[in-house]
Amino acid sequence: MGARQNELLKGTLDLLILRTLALEARHGLAVADRIHQTTRGALTVKAGSLFPALHRLEQAGFIKGTWTESDLGRRVKVYRLTAAGRRRLAEERRNWGRIVAAVAQVLDAC
Amino acid sequence: MLVLTKLGSLFRTLFRKSRLERELDDELQSVLELLTERHVEAGLDREAARRAARLELGGVEQVKEEVRTSWIGSGLLTFLRDLRYAWRALCGSPSFVVVAIITLALGIGANTAIFSIANAVLREPLPFKDPDRLVFVWGDMTAAGYPRGPLSGPELKDLRERSSLFSDFQAIWATTATITGDGDPEQLRIGLVTTGFFPLLGVDAALGRTLSIEDETTAAPTAILLSASLWRRRYGGDPGIAGRTVLVNDRPVMVVGVMPDAFKLFMPPDASVPDDLQAWALFNKTLPQGPRGQMFLRVVGRLAPGVTFQDASNEIAAIAAGISRDFPEYGAGGRAFRLVSLHDDGVREVRPALLALSAGVTILLLIACVNVASLLVARAAARQRENALHVALGAGRARLFSRCLAEGILLAGAGAMAGVLTARFCMKLLVGMRPESLARLEVASLDRSVLLLTGLAALVLGFLLSLAPLGETLRTRFVSVLQGGRGGGSSMHYRLRAGLVVIQLALSIVLLVGAGLLVRTVVELGRVDPGFRWEGRLTFRLGLPASRYPTLAAAAAFSRRFQEELGALPGVTSVGAMSHLPFDILPNWSTTYLSAPGQDESLARRADSRAVTASLFETMGARLVEGRFFTEDDNHTSQPVVIVDESLARLAWPGRSAIGQRLAVDPAVTGHPITWVSVVGVVGHLRIHTLTEDVREQVFFPVRQALRNPMCYVVRTEADPATLTSGVRGILGRLDPQLPIYEVRLLGDYVARARATHRFTMWLIAAFALVAVTLSCVGVYGVMAYSVAARRHEMAVRLALGARPSAVVALMVRQGLGLAAVGVAVGVPAAFGAAHLIEDQLFGVRPGDLAIYGSAGPLLVLATVAASWLPARRAVAIEPLEALRAD
Repeated sequence: MGARQNELLKGTLDLLILRTLALEARHGLAVADRIHQTTRGALTVKAGSLFPALHRLEQAGFIKGTWTESDLGRRVKVYRLTAAGRRRLAEERRNWGRIVAAVAQVLDAC
Repeated sequence: MLVLTKLGSLFRTLFRKSRLERELDDELQSVLELLTERHVEAGLDREAARRAARLELGGVEQVKEEVRTSWIGSGLLTFLRDLRYAWRALCGSPSFVVVAIITLALGIGANTAIFSIANAVLREPLPFKDPDRLVFVWGDMTAAGYPRGPLSGPELKDLRERSSLFSDFQAIWATTATITGDGDPEQLRIGLVTTGFFPLLGVDAALGRTLSIEDETTAAPTAILLSASLWRRRYGGDPGIAGRTVLVNDRPVMVVGVMPDAFKLFMPPDASVPDDLQAWALFNKTLPQGPRGQMFLRVVGRLAPGVTFQDASNEIAAIAAGISRDFPEYGAGGRAFRLVSLHDDGVREVRPALLALSAGVTILLLIACVNVASLLVARAAARQRENALHVALGAGRARLFSRCLAEGILLAGAGAMAGVLTARFCMKLLVGMRPESLARLEVASLDRSVLLLTGLAALVLGFLLSLAPLGETLRTRFVSVLQGGRGGGSSMHYRLRAGLVVIQLALSIVLLVGAGLLVRTVVELGRVDPGFRWEGRLTFRLGLPASRYPTLAAAAAFSRRFQEELGALPGVTSVGAMSHLPFDILPNWSTTYLSAPGQDESLARRADSRAVTASLFETMGARLVEGRFFTEDDNHTSQPVVIVDESLARLAWPGRSAIGQRLAVDPAVTGHPITWVSVVGVVGHLRIHTLTEDVREQVFFPVRQALRNPMCYVVRTEADPATLTSGVRGILGRLDPQLPIYEVRLLGDYVARARATHRFTMWLIAAFALVAVTLSCVGVYGVMAYSVAARRHEMAVRLALGARPSAVVALMVRQGLGLAAVGVAVGVPAAFGAAHLIEDQLFGVRPGDLAIYGSAGPLLVLATVAASWLPARRAVAIEPLEALRAD
């Protein structure tokens, strides 16, 4: 399950992260939790993939991380979507839709 | 906008790295704590929870590493880190670095120098306006079997009138003149030019103006244009020189201007127009009305815009055909013209030499690179353990390659910088020792494009060099290396290095053979008997101005007195004078001749003409074949006589004696052979144009029957030249203080000039060969040292079992001999092929000369044996037990 999972997520991890952050600003672990939750355990993002992706998105300017105090009094780095990130999310969603449609066409063709 | 954000991130990665690291650490720590909390809540105790949290995270360091690679600019950082690492590694082995850099510096430096030179001479355009449109018009005499020759005044007029594809034709002729006033009298090399010569070239004066239509006269020139060096030397760089009057040949002439310092003419060598003419004046207006057969003009033309060389060439040929038809004096032989590009013609003679040098130096670079690659491979083998450790700790093969690349680039970069310094030094050396044929060398400089090319070459080199050890590195099975003993690639490694060394040896053979052939050529050239002796002969020129020596009698009287006094100087054994010295730079004097009445003049052969004094042949040590030399009785009142050379005698009167035969020649330079003379003597041919062959027949006139001015005196002396020179000046001071002597030179210097280009090439190729053999020996030493180290066990066992040390050494030397044998076997055919490429530069030796191959091969084998003997010798000096124990 692990290997196949990585291949799947390589191109789409960014999309999942942006989407997750669009709903609510979260810290890194929470993003992974949320994805795990929403897919009912089908997708588990490991730290080794998640944090590089988060940093990459942050360096590109799509998300922004700020250090805040969590409700439990701990310091956590919370990420939120930027305006550019929102635009990117929309773009990636459209792309994904196109890919899915194309793949479906191939699979359904006789 | 996003680009700015990305740039900002790049900035942070590069310059705020520590802060990023801290934040990352904080972030991951907080994640760890959260995970730990969850596990604690799930019921685990603190310790177990922490462990489980770490497991879940997947290893803090690993995650950090992954994040680091995701940062923008991380690739760059990694490479910089590799460079730093490579730098430290290189600093740790200084001897390797020094050897590698010196090797690269030699190869790259020599290459840069030679290519800069070749570029300057072969490709750099002439310093005129639109120089690729400039052409030279030669009179083609190859049908009559002679090298090309100049044109006459009427022919220049024909070219101008009958051509449509040219914007202009102009001409120049080099001669001499005496300048007096404002200092000692001085003999100048002066160029007579047609009115539009300088505008044709598109050059302007630096001061004043160039010659123009207002300076035209129908008699002697009234205006003169000075060269910068003459202006500085004689007139102290006077800024008001334009408009001043100076005395030239005792006549007042106005200076119109000064040419720029950098102005040089660069005509083809056989045009006899020196680069460094000191002044210019105009031909008089009657030039086009001169005799049609009086050919002395060097004609330069400019193609009209858009005209191709081929079309222009065809038009020139048509014009020649036209005048052959229209002017019956050309007779059945007719006239032919040939067009050449001014630039190409100028470099025609040196191009083969420069190309040979370029090839030679490239071979040297290859050898140098192979050496450094071999050294790198050796290093890689020595660091197998270290690399294995790195791989075990998680560095991918890509990282190893990156590190190899960094080392390669650092080495190549350092080598290139050292190479540039070497190149600068080499260029100074080469420009200093350049022969006249490579006069343009002085404009050679390490220009930007060459430096850029060197830099690029260094990068490519670095890349390629790093591939060498890479192959080794990738092939190694790291596990077996870590487990102990040497890696699994040692025999392959030896084969690789041995292969490289064989290539070096083969290339060295090529250079050795080339050097040998060139050395033989120079030696043979030195042994050529040019028909005269030059040792201990001093020469100088002396011109008698017509204003003070108006009659033949006056000139003859002076000449006799002068020669008498010269003969009386201490140490002087013989004195003579001739109109042109051998290998002289001034224009040749030749005449057509008829050996029987009624011969067709247009088909007549041409002979070089010289006017000589009675004692000249003796002074020069020329060989009398038949008849006699001239005497004092051969003067302007007695019967016209000549002395001919063997070739003329053989051609004109085969099988008969030439003495007493009659010849029609042209001592007065009328353009037609109209004077009938008797032959009184035959001398051996004098080689006066080139050492390698007889060029033309020769006719010698007694100076009293064919007065020439200036004359070149030849003095045979045992005294030191400086003393003699002051003696001569002393005599002149008494006889006529206004007469300058100039160009005081040993006759041997003129002869040396004929060998100069060959010697230049020879020295360079010999230097390359020497460096190549040295580098190859270093290569052999390295390989054999490695092999000795690898076979240490075996050698120790042999010694312990009672083998004599010399036998063990012989074993290793045999191995080295094997390498040499293969190298020679590969190299000899390659050398044979290369020798044929330089065939036309050789003299007196064939490309397949066995003696040369026979000495080059053994020489290299000897060197290889020495290089193999040394490491073997050292190895057997170690106690065998020690060698067995240490591993």
